[in-house]
Amino acid sequence: MKRRRSLIASAVALAVLVAGLTATAISAKPTKRSANSIEVLSLWGGSEKDAFLKVTAAFTKDTGIKVEYTSARDFIPEVRTRLAAGNPPDIGILPRPGYIGTLAKAGALKTLSSLGLSNSYMAGNYSSGWLKLGSSGGKLYGVPAKANSKSVIWYKPDSFAKYKFKIPKTWAQLLAITKSYKAKGLVPWSVGAGPSQSQWTLTDWFENIYARTAGPAKYQALFTGKLKFTDPSVANAAKIMTQIINNKYVLNGVQGVLGQSFVGGITDVFGTSSKAQLYFEGGFVGGIATGQVNPNLKAGKTIGDFPWPTIKASLDHPVVGAADFAGAFKDTPEVRQFLKYISTGAAGKIWVSTNAVTSPNKKVPASSYPSPLVRAEVKQLATAKTFLFDGSDLLPGAFGDTWGFALQDVIQKPGNIKSILSTFQGKIQGQF
Amino acid sequence: MSTQPLTTPVAAPPPPSEGRRIRPWSVFERLRGMLFVLPALIVLSTFLIYPAYYTIRLAFYEGSFNFGFAHYLGIDNFKELLTNDKDFLDASKFPPSGALINNLRWVIFYISLSLIIGLGLAVLAVRVRYERAVKTAIFVPMAIAATAVGIIWLFVYSPNPDTGVLNALLRGFDSGFHPIAWLGRPNLVNYALIFAYIWASVGFVMVVLSAAIKGIPAEIMEAARVDGAGEFNIFRRIMIPMLSLPISVVTIWLFINVIKVFDIIYVMTGGGPGTSSRVIAFTMYEETFLNGRPGYGAAVAVIMLVVLLPVMILNVRRFRSEKVVA
Repeated sequence: MKRRRSLIASAVALAVLVAGLTATAISAKPTKRSANSIEVLSLWGGSEKDAFLKVTAAFTKDTGIKVEYTSARDFIPEVRTRLAAGNPPDIGILPRPGYIGTLAKAGALKTLSSLGLSNSYMAGNYSSGWLKLGSSGGKLYGVPAKANSKSVIWYKPDSFAKYKFKIPKTWAQLLAITKSYKAKGLVPWSVGAGPSQSQWTLTDWFENIYARTAGPAKYQALFTGKLKFTDPSVANAAKIMTQIINNKYVLNGVQGVLGQSFVGGITDVFGTSSKAQLYFEGGFVGGIATGQVNPNLKAGKTIGDFPWPTIKASLDHPVVGAADFAGAFKDTPEVRQFLKYISTGAAGKIWVSTNAVTSPNKKVPASSYPSPLVRAEVKQLATAKTFLFDGSDLLPGAFGDTWGFALQDVIQKPGNIKSILSTFQGKIQGQF
Repeated sequence: MSTQPLTTPVAAPPPPSEGRRIRPWSVFERLRGMLFVLPALIVLSTFLIYPAYYTIRLAFYEGSFNFGFAHYLGIDNFKELLTNDKDFLDASKFPPSGALINNLRWVIFYISLSLIIGLGLAVLAVRVRYERAVKTAIFVPMAIAATAVGIIWLFVYSPNPDTGVLNALLRGFDSGFHPIAWLGRPNLVNYALIFAYIWASVGFVMVVLSAAIKGIPAEIMEAARVDGAGEFNIFRRIMIPMLSLPISVVTIWLFINVIKVFDIIYVMTGGGPGTSSRVIAFTMYEETFLNGRPGYGAAVAVIMLVVLLPVMILNVRRFRSEKVVA
């Protein structure tokens, strides 16, 4: 009797266990969010994130659809793992057209036309250059959400006035200012390209120099896999880069560059205890400097920007810029509404009113930009004779990072440029 | 002579289950036994055995976007890793470099320094009146998450002497001192990381060893002192031999820690500058998730497993032998 009872008990326990396991297996399916909300993933934090939340707040007010914002600075691993787990965010706003192409090829993204944003509608709001960047295989996947010029150099207008420096129009003039600063006992430059994940600032240095020394055609060819990194033009541009990024002219020397982060570098120049005079990075530096680093900065007096000077007169000064594109991983009515919303001029106006971004949207007039710093950037973007997209962001997968690592090697061993470039070429060969 | 008392009690008690095994319902009894083990077994196989099998199998494929088994490659991944991937192992020049060599650096410096510092602190802490305060202070970093440790040491190592404590300190000694970017120099970065991690784990070593020191019978020490042994001889000839077991436990713990070190590197350098501070675990992450090569990343994981396996076997063996001793 007793034995039988224990048998029954065992059987029941087993049954419960098996049932429990199947239950967990079933519930392990991706959790469904409440119907009236969407998740948007991007890499912004700080002032850039606050600006975006203002846009989503307006969207929620209009439609009643809640927007959950997920911030992932290291967005590639995040997107990759969530896709593999079958639980991607609804929308990702990603900075790399190259990676959008990778996702599109893997079938992870929905085409915009299947989401109700027709090609003609998009063409009404964006120029063909932007749309091409958001496309892969002839189909449109990404809504150009925000844009920035990466061809501006940040300086201190009051310091320039004090030493009677003029805005440099050529590389030679920029080098002359650099030398004068040095001669006056000041540190001319700060560059933040170190821990962790700030090596991309070096890729921007390289791109501006390359566009001005090799020209737009070669630039496009290099970053789309049609020209090898072993081409002499690449080594030449890398060498020119080390005319400024060397132990003489940057704060704490090359080691200091590798020990400083992107925001740390801004602080070195525009922070309350300033140590260097010039900083190069995109238009977004203005928002970070005045918003996060030092709220006492005065545009036009203690902070200002000028366009990247020309290096070869015949090549003028092409504008290198970057943009973030919104792509959809899922097709729901809410996702459709959101994409439609951020492609409108109204959303763009709210976004640019925060001074954090410029909008690639045609329907956002220059007058909607409150800050003179941003207005200068918009003017540069709008009047650019040649616009080139950030080359490292065009590289497939995570090669944008690998390229930055290679440039970290370049500034440390300028004598080894050739072998560093051929190693990099070996890695990227066949990856396009 | 000495084996006599040990062997007899083992052989003496009659195996208790022997009598029962003949009874017919012992099958259910056994089933019930299995049932008790089942939950642990299920958890272990879902979260350990199955993923391990999956990873090992994946290491022989190129792997698809969704971590599926696509494009069988045989041992090509391993070949590429060990012979052609200069970021993982570059044996073409001397000294060799790469993630594997960096990890070896970690093994040598992290383990030996943690042990020496930890043991030194344990021996000294016992002798001071404010022992508890000292030990607490040294143990606190152990309770800090590795991410926070990384951020703290990012500040310490900053090349800007206003935030970089280390550079400020050195400048205090020598006003003409030029700040060093500890994390920006390929020849320094690994040691800087190792030191930060030692700071975070030396407390554990100290606590374990100091407990073990207290377990050494006082009579032995006193007898040695009476016989005229100096403090150094007591330390070398009595403490060290009597601490050999806890020291080996701690060493294995440190070894496992160091082979899978990742978090602090991710936070502090991201494997940089360039690729100079990558280790095995970081390479696995980089290849799998950033470069999107799941098969290749899995091959790195398998190599990590192979490195760890002998140590784990050693560990399990020692646990078994300990049982006999007790």
